[in-house]
Amino acid sequence: MNAGAPLAGHFAPGTLPYRDGHIGIVELGDGPTVGYLHGMLGNPGVHAVLEELAAAGHRVVAPSLPGFTGSSEPDGLRTLHDWVVATSEVVDLAGLAGAPLVASSVGAMLALELAAVRPEAFGSMVLVSPFGLWDDNDPVADPFGTTLSVQRAMLTEDTAASAAFFDDPADLPADMVVEHGVHRYLTRTAAAQLIWPLPEWGLAERLHRVTNPVTLVHGAKDRIIPVSYLERWAEALTNVVGTHVVDDAGHQADFDQPGQVARIAAAALG
Amino acid sequence: MKSIFFHLMPYPELPPDFPEQHRSVWVDIDPKLYDPTVGHQTYNAYLDQLEFAAECGFDAVGINEHHSNGYGLMPSPNIIAAALSRNCPDTNIVVLGDSVALYNPPLRVAEEIAMLDGITGGRMIAGFPVGSPMDTIYAYGQNPATLRERYHEGVDLIRQAWTSDEVFSFNGNYNKLRYVNVWPRPVQQPHPPIWIPGGGSVDTWDWCAAEDLVYCYLSYFGYKAGLRTMQGFWKKVQELGKETNPFQGGFAQFIAVADTEAEAWDLYREPAEYFFNTCLHVYAGYADPPGYKTPNTVRAGVEGMVERAAREATARREANAADAAKAGSAKPSYGSKKLTFEDMVEKGYIILGNPTQVTEQVHELATTMNVGHLMVFSHFGNMEPELVKMNTEMYATQVMPEVAGLFEDDYEDHWWPKTDHQLAPVGSRAQ
Repeated sequence: MNAGAPLAGHFAPGTLPYRDGHIGIVELGDGPTVGYLHGMLGNPGVHAVLEELAAAGHRVVAPSLPGFTGSSEPDGLRTLHDWVVATSEVVDLAGLAGAPLVASSVGAMLALELAAVRPEAFGSMVLVSPFGLWDDNDPVADPFGTTLSVQRAMLTEDTAASAAFFDDPADLPADMVVEHGVHRYLTRTAAAQLIWPLPEWGLAERLHRVTNPVTLVHGAKDRIIPVSYLERWAEALTNVVGTHVVDDAGHQADFDQPGQVARIAAAALG
Repeated sequence: MKSIFFHLMPYPELPPDFPEQHRSVWVDIDPKLYDPTVGHQTYNAYLDQLEFAAECGFDAVGINEHHSNGYGLMPSPNIIAAALSRNCPDTNIVVLGDSVALYNPPLRVAEEIAMLDGITGGRMIAGFPVGSPMDTIYAYGQNPATLRERYHEGVDLIRQAWTSDEVFSFNGNYNKLRYVNVWPRPVQQPHPPIWIPGGGSVDTWDWCAAEDLVYCYLSYFGYKAGLRTMQGFWKKVQELGKETNPFQGGFAQFIAVADTEAEAWDLYREPAEYFFNTCLHVYAGYADPPGYKTPNTVRAGVEGMVERAAREATARREANAADAAKAGSAKPSYGSKKLTFEDMVEKGYIILGNPTQVTEQVHELATTMNVGHLMVFSHFGNMEPELVKMNTEMYATQVMPEVAGLFEDDYEDHWWPKTDHQLAPVGSRAQ
C-alpha cells in the first residue's frame, strides 16, 4: 500500500489498517451480518443499497477493496492471484468470513474467484452482473474505451444513480475536490486492472469448485454485460437457487434499483 | 543545437470526409481504408525523404512507433531504422522510440538497438517511451494499472543488459529471465544515448531529471503551448541542483519554410489541414484510460498531448453534429468547426515563413524552452514529395546553419553519439 495515498473524504466513513496502508469500510444496521463487495463504483460513502439492506434487518459490512473508494493505493497487486489473496485478507479483516454476501460486478467476479479456492469464505451469495465469462458471439462491452460521460451512462441506467461516486457534494472543500478526483481515478484504475483488456481469466474452468448457494441478479438494461449472460451464469454455476432480471436497471443494478436488489438479497439470504 | 529530421509517416490518402464518417484515426480506424499499393508507394517515398534529409546534413533522422494509427505507419521503428542504416552512413538515427512495455521480453529492444548500432558503427540514439494510451492500452491490450511499472522494469532490464559484463538472471515482476546475454553488444559503450519521449507526466520529469536522461516533449501543438511542459521538467532538474543543460531537452516542431511568407501560406495549407483535422481526428474515449496517468499527474491536472488532441477533435466532431442537427441535416458538416491554418500558425503549432522568419522563431523556441535537440517535422500530413524536398533542403541550408551554434559553446551534449567512438563505414557503405 502507498502510505501517501490521498485522503478519502466522504467516500470512506471508516478505515481499517491493511498492509502498509488502509482499506475504507462502511458498516451500518443491526442484525445478522451480511457482507457487500462493491462493483466498479466502489463504496462512495453510505450508499442506498447498503441502507436498504440495513433497513431489511441486517448488519451490513462493506469494505472497499484496495485502490477503490477510500482505500489506499494498491501496491504489489499485479495478477489475479494477488487480487484473490487480497480479497481473502479483506474479507477476514472485515469479519466477513463465512457470512452471506451481496456482490456486484467486479466484486462478484472476485467473490467467485475466492469461493473457488476458499469455499468457506462465504455463505450464500447474491451476485449482481458478475464479470468473468466471455462469449465471442455476444461480447461484454468495453467500459473504458469511452469518454467518462459515456462510461457513466454505461454503468447505470439512470446517471443520477451514480451521483454519489461521480458528483462531489456542493460543500466539499476545494482541496478535497482534487483528492476526490484522484480517488475516482484510482477506483476506476482498480476496476480496469481487474477486467482489462477482456474480463475473462479462466474462471469458467474453476466454477465447479463453487458450491455456495447463488442467487443471480442482472439489470435488464445492462450496457456492459448483456442480460443474456444471466443464463450463461445459471448454466455454469452448480448451485443456483434463483435468478432475477431487474427492470430499469443497468450494469450496477444495486445503484439503479437498490430497494429491489436489497429485497431480492434479503429474501435469498434470510 | 542539433536538428533531427523527424518523420511520422502518415497515411496520405484518408478520404476528405474522414472526420465526418469515422470516429477515430487511431485504434479503430477502418481497415478497409488502407490500400496496400498506396502503402508500398508511401513507405518508399518516406524512406527517400529520410535519406534526402541525411544527405542535406541534418544532424540525425528520427522515427517513432505507433499502432493501428492512420498518421503513423511505423508499428516497428526498428525496421525503418534498419532500412535507413545502410543508406545513411554518416547520419545518426534517433529511434524515439521503442515502446518498451510492448516487447516480450524487452530484451528484444536491447538486441535490436545493439544490432543497429553495430550496422551504423555507433550512430544510434535509443528512445524509450511509455507509449500512448492508444498504442499500449487499446491497440496492444496492456493493462493501464501496471503499464508504467512494466515499462520501468523493461528499461531497467535493457540498461542492465547493455552494461553487464556477465551473463545474469533477471527476476522482475513481469520478466523472468534465467539467462540475460545481449549478443551482439552495442558499439557505443556503455550504451547508446537514451532519450525519453514524454507527454506531460510529472513523474517522467522527475525520473529523467534524477537519472540524467533526455526528456523529449513530442508535442503537435508547438513551442508556445509546450513551454509549460518543458518548464515543468527544468524545474525538476533545478530542484535536484543539477545543470539545466539544454541538450538534456528535446522538442518537436512543425516547420514550413519557403522563399517568402506568402508562398509558405500558399504551399503548406493543405498538408497542415490534413494533419491537424484528419490525422489528429482521434476519439477522446481512447485518450485517458484509468491508470495510464500517475496519481501525481492527475493531481497536478496535467493534460497529455494526445489527450488534448483527442479532446479537441471529439469536441469539434460533436459540435459539428450538433450544428447539423439544428439545421435538420442527418450528415454533419465538418467545415464549420475545423481548425484553420491561420489558427495553427498563430498559436505556434507550425513555424512558418521565409528562412529569416523561421530562423527567428526556431531561435526563440530553443532559447525560451532551453532545448538543444529539435525534432523537425519538415513533412506533415499529405505533403507532396517535391514540397517535402524543398522544405527539408531550405531548413537544412538556410535555417539550420543559423541555429546550429546555439548552446554548443556553453554546454556539452552528453546525450549524443560520440564521433570519436564511431566506426567508419565499411564495405559498400564506405563508397
